[in-house]
Order: sequence, then C-alpha cells, then structure tokens
Amino acid sequence: MTHYILKRFLLMFPTLFGVAVLIFLLLRVVPGDIVEVRFMAQGQYSSEAVMAIERAKLGLDKPLWQQFTTWMWGLLHLDFGVSMWTGAPITEELKLRFELSLQLAIMATVVATLLAIPLGILAAVKQDTWIDYAVRVFSIAGLAMPSFWLGILMILAMLIIFKWLPPMVFTSFWVNPWENLAQLIWPALAVGYRYSAVATRMMRSAMLEVLREDYIRTARAKGLWLKLILSRHALKNAMLPVITVIGLEFAFLMGGLVVTEQVFSLNGLGMLFVEAISHRDYTLTQALVLIVASVFIFVNFATDIAYAWLDPRIRYR
Amino acid sequence: MAKLLEVKNLQTQFLTSAGVVRAVDGVSYDVDEGETVALVGESGCGKSVSALSIMRLVAEPAGRIVGGEIVFKGRDLLKLSEEEMRDVRGRDIAMIFQEPMTSLNPVLTIGRQLTEGLEIHLGMGPAAASARAIELLGLVGIPDPARRLAQYPHQFSGGMRQRMMVAMALGCNPALILADEPTTALDVTIQAQVLELLQDLSRRLGVAMLIITHNLGVVARYADRVNVMYAGRIIERGTAAEIYADPRHPYTLGLLRSVPRLDEPIRAKLDPIEGQPPDLSRLPPGCAFAPRCAYRVERCTEVPPLAACGAAGHMSACWVSASLAKEPVA
Ligand SMILES: Nc1ncnc2c1ncn2[C@@H]1O[C@H](COP(=O)(O)OP(=O)(O)O)[C@@H](O)[C@H]1O
Ligand SMILES: [Mg+2]
Repeated sequence: MTHYILKRFLLMFPTLFGVAVLIFLLLRVVPGDIVEVRFMAQGQYSSEAVMAIERAKLGLDKPLWQQFTTWMWGLLHLDFGVSMWTGAPITEELKLRFELSLQLAIMATVVATLLAIPLGILAAVKQDTWIDYAVRVFSIAGLAMPSFWLGILMILAMLIIFKWLPPMVFTSFWVNPWENLAQLIWPALAVGYRYSAVATRMMRSAMLEVLREDYIRTARAKGLWLKLILSRHALKNAMLPVITVIGLEFAFLMGGLVVTEQVFSLNGLGMLFVEAISHRDYTLTQALVLIVASVFIFVNFATDIAYAWLDPRIRYR
Repeated sequence: MAKLLEVKNLQTQFLTSAGVVRAVDGVSYDVDEGETVALVGESGCGKSVSALSIMRLVAEPAGRIVGGEIVFKGRDLLKLSEEEMRDVRGRDIAMIFQEPMTSLNPVLTIGRQLTEGLEIHLGMGPAAASARAIELLGLVGIPDPARRLAQYPHQFSGGMRQRMMVAMALGCNPALILADEPTTALDVTIQAQVLELLQDLSRRLGVAMLIITHNLGVVARYADRVNVMYAGRIIERGTAAEIYADPRHPYTLGLLRSVPRLDEPIRAKLDPIEGQPPDLSRLPPGCAFAPRCAYRVERCTEVPPLAACGAAGHMSACWVSASLAKEPVA
C-alpha cells in the first residue's frame, strides 16, 4: 500500500515537468507574440527595430533553453515571475483568484456529489419506474441548461423576489465566511447542478451493474435488508467509476468556468486564462496552465488513493 | 421422518422478448429432515431457478413464480411477506452458489461477510460473532482462521472460497442448505474435498441438503434420493440406488452413460446425449425429450407422458419406461 501511494506520488513530478515543457513550446509555436499583440492593440505601426527592443526587455531574444531554465529556476523557488502584459508579480495576482476558483470548484463538486449519489442510487433501485424517469429528466435538464443561463435566472429571481443581490467583491472565507458564502453559493449551485448530471448517470448505471452481481444475490440469500445491501455491499463497488468522473469534473471546474465567472462577476482563474492567452502573455499563461495541470494531476493521484481505499484488490497488489 | 420441504407443482416463468420461458414447469419434490436430496439435469433445465424460487430470489421483474406451493416447516413460503421471508433466508434456509469467484463481495473482509448473518439473525454482538466466525472457518477446514478473518476474498483460492461459502451457510444453523452446483467451478480434486466436507457437516449437524448438479456421477456418493429434471420438469425420481441400478427414463439412462462413474472401472468411451435441450419458450406438445430420444414411439411426440410410480415411489414420466427395465446402464 505505502509502495503504491509512493509510486503514484513520485509519478506526479515527471508528468508535471512534461506539461511544463509542452506548454512552454506550444506557446512559442502559436503565431503572434505579446509585443505584436500590444502594438496592434494600440493601433500603432511599429518597426521591427522597436519590436526587437521590446522583446529584449521581456527576455524573448534569449535562446529558448535559456528562457526555459530561467522559468524553471524561478519555479523551484515558487516564483512564477511577472506578467509580461502588466508587469505585476504573478504569484500576487493569482493568490486570491486561485482561492476563489478552488473554493468554487470544491463547493460545486460537493453540490454535484450530494445530488448525484443519492439520486443515482434512487434511480437504480427504482429502475424503470416514474422515480427513475424523474431523476433522469432532472439530470438531463441540468446538462441541457447552460449554467450561466441558470445563473442569470437565479440572479434575476433574487433581484426581483428578494430585492437582493449577492456580494460582487470576493471576500476570503477566512476573513468573512458569511459574506464569502453569500457570494459563492449561487454559482456553486448552478455549476454543481450541471455537473451532477454526468455523475448521476454514472452512479445509476454503476449501481445497476453492481446490483446484478452474484455477491449481491449472496447478500440477499443471507437475509439482509435492502438498505444494508445497498450501503454495505453495493455502494463501495459502485462508487469506483463515479469517483473518477467526480475527480475529473473537479479538475475541469478549476480552469474552465469562463462564462459562469462573468455572469456572477467572479474574478477566478477562467477569465484570466482567456485574457492571458489572447495577450500572448507567456509567463502568465504558463503559470495558469501549470496550476490547472497540477490540480488535474493531484486529483488523479487522489482518485488512485480513493480506489485503493475502496478496493482491497488494488491495495494488496 | 417428517417432511421439511415440500415443493408442489411449482411454476416459475420469465417474460422475455422471445416469449414466456417456462423455466420451472410444474415441479414437485420434497426433502426430509436431515436428508440429502439431489436435483440433476443438464445445464439450462431450470435447476437454479427452482432453488432460487425456494428462496424467492428469482430475478424480478422478468422472473415470476406463477403457481404452486413451497411448504417449509408447514408454512407456504410463497405466502410470506418480504419481511418474513428475510428471516427465513440465511436463518432457516441457506444457499451456496456455483461461482465462488464472484459470489463473495470483493471489497468486504471474510470476517464481515461471515459475521453479518450472525448479527442479523442471531442478534450476536461483534465479539461473539467474530468468535463464532473463527469457529466456523475452523469447522470447514480453513487453517489459521483468526488471521483469515481480516483477509479479502481475492486472497483465498477457489476451493477456500467455497469452504468459506459453506461456513457462511452453516452460520445460523439452518435446517436446509440449497447447494447450487457447489463444486462445478472447482478443480476435480478439490471438488471431491468440498463435497466430502458438505456431506460430513450436513450429517454431523443434521442439516438437510438439496444438492443441485448436472453430474449424475457426483450424486452417487452423496444423495439419499435423486430427482432428475429435464426442460423444467421432474422426469424421474427415486432413491440413489434405484436411479443408478434401474433408470426408468431414457434421459436418465443417457445422463448415466455420459458421465464417468465412481462405482465402476473407467470405461474407454463416454456417450453424451445427442442434440440440445429444447427452447423453454417453445416446448413441444408431447414429451420434451422425445426429439432426442432413441426409444421414441409415435405417442411420445403427441401426448406428454404421465408420471407413473413404480415400487416404493420410484417415479418416471415416460411412455416406454417399462421396456427400459432390461436396458444395461453402461
Ligand atoms: N433472469 C432470467 N431471464 C430470462 N431467462 C432466464 C433467467 N434466468 C434463467 N432463465 C432461463 O431459465 C432456464 C433455466 O435456467 P437455470 O435454472 O439457470 O438452469 P440450470 O438448470 O442450468 O441451473 C434457462 O433456459 C434460462 O434461459
Ligand atoms: Mg444453474
């Protein structure tokens, strides 16, 4: 078991390094660089000579390997450098946004899980009854409704019915939890509902599959009642594929909530991501990709551990 | 001896897209207290469904018990509520399944799977249940039982898992064990060991046993009485000795010729029955075995044979059974 965890843990680092190399090269292959984008934005004509000076200021004239090692050296000291576009230190810029995105992702995942697991089990146990159909319609509706649209509906409803709007400025949970939750609970509900759909379907089908297993028949032949069969014999087995889905969704939520962030006017990572890429802000994009990739890789690691925890066949390998 | 279980005219059907599958079609048999009775027949003839019907565990909603009675200790199990039935399962009647590899839960310890029945049916606390579980594992011949409790099924071999299933079945001192092909999935040497164990324990503890198998050779040593099943019906019934020495149905004769026998020197050639069992959703009007039967007469394909009882309850459902008396078994 320790061996298994250690192996998974150590595997994270080469993966992360691979991501770093890849994003570093990819950014530089994409046509246009930050200097061109900036001059274009200002509508100025600029000579090659001027652009070269600007590039030199940003260190873009150096050979690639040198740019890469400089970046890596900074990373080793947990320093992401400064944004090429604004010149502000990236670590400072990202701190609050990361906190917001992480918290939103966690809350939305909790909402999604709390919906998906009971609903999926219910639908499986009541397969092909009206309850099953109701659950399926509910979750498909979540998929069909974009969460920004649901978000707009929620905001309008609060405004019209309660004459109240959630706070606009992000307050850290550690500073003022009520203020913080009053702002984030709504996007978490909207996004969590949407993301519960896939997990619900997965829970339902995994549960149906497990309920057909021989060991469930054995449990019934022992005279156990349904609740005990579900909670003790079926749930752990059925959770395995669901955990994978929930983990992946969580990782997506960290960087992929562009429109929802706009609707709820949240300063998370999603919008920043879009801006950084359109500005060809190499340093900021690299930092963001690395953060999101780290979350993905870590979630993957956590999923592996959860698997081992649930399934002794993995634990004892 | 008193009748422990009486299955009377049991009918269990499955509604499938191909039509109504008559998996068990008017089956009657009984088991006395402490007795071992065999249910024998080729694969697909309805043996498992008949055992699952006794437990009322036929896969719903496709499968339904549509008729008959299952009288156990004087009560018709088909009339019990689901709650009352739960108390019967595992407590009065235990079941051992064919597949030791898939019939135990891979994510629960051996101890957990052994103790839960004890906790539920006998109201034992964790400590008492654990002690009893250790005793049970010892009883079925698993070495070092205390350490084994914390292990998982994948750490057990097939034979050990089946021993564990036997331990689980014996846990609450049931009156009847339904053993559905308990050794079919095991190696031949281990098959014999597990069967010996089952026989030994059932005799010693006075548990009645319904042993289901497709191998008539297996039954010889272990059963007191034998029911031969074909296409959802019992076609011959008798004591083990009668069935072996004096089969009165061509199907039984075929089964006997198709398996190696433990009571005879090894024959050079085994003789499987020609053809396939019929489609249970489209049974022929006459005897279901007629199309494969070498002794067929005209009447066989038109009128289903009546069950005729010979001496001392040796029953066979065959129009020509009388003429079979002279046939050599091997
Ligand atoms: N869940 C089910 N759905 C449809 N048909 C079934 C089901 N279970 C069993 N049957 C049918 O019932 C018949 C008897 O099956 P079974 O009792 O398992 O045979 P066996 O004698 O090998 O144990 C088979 O023909 C099978 O097709
Ligand atoms: Mg079977």
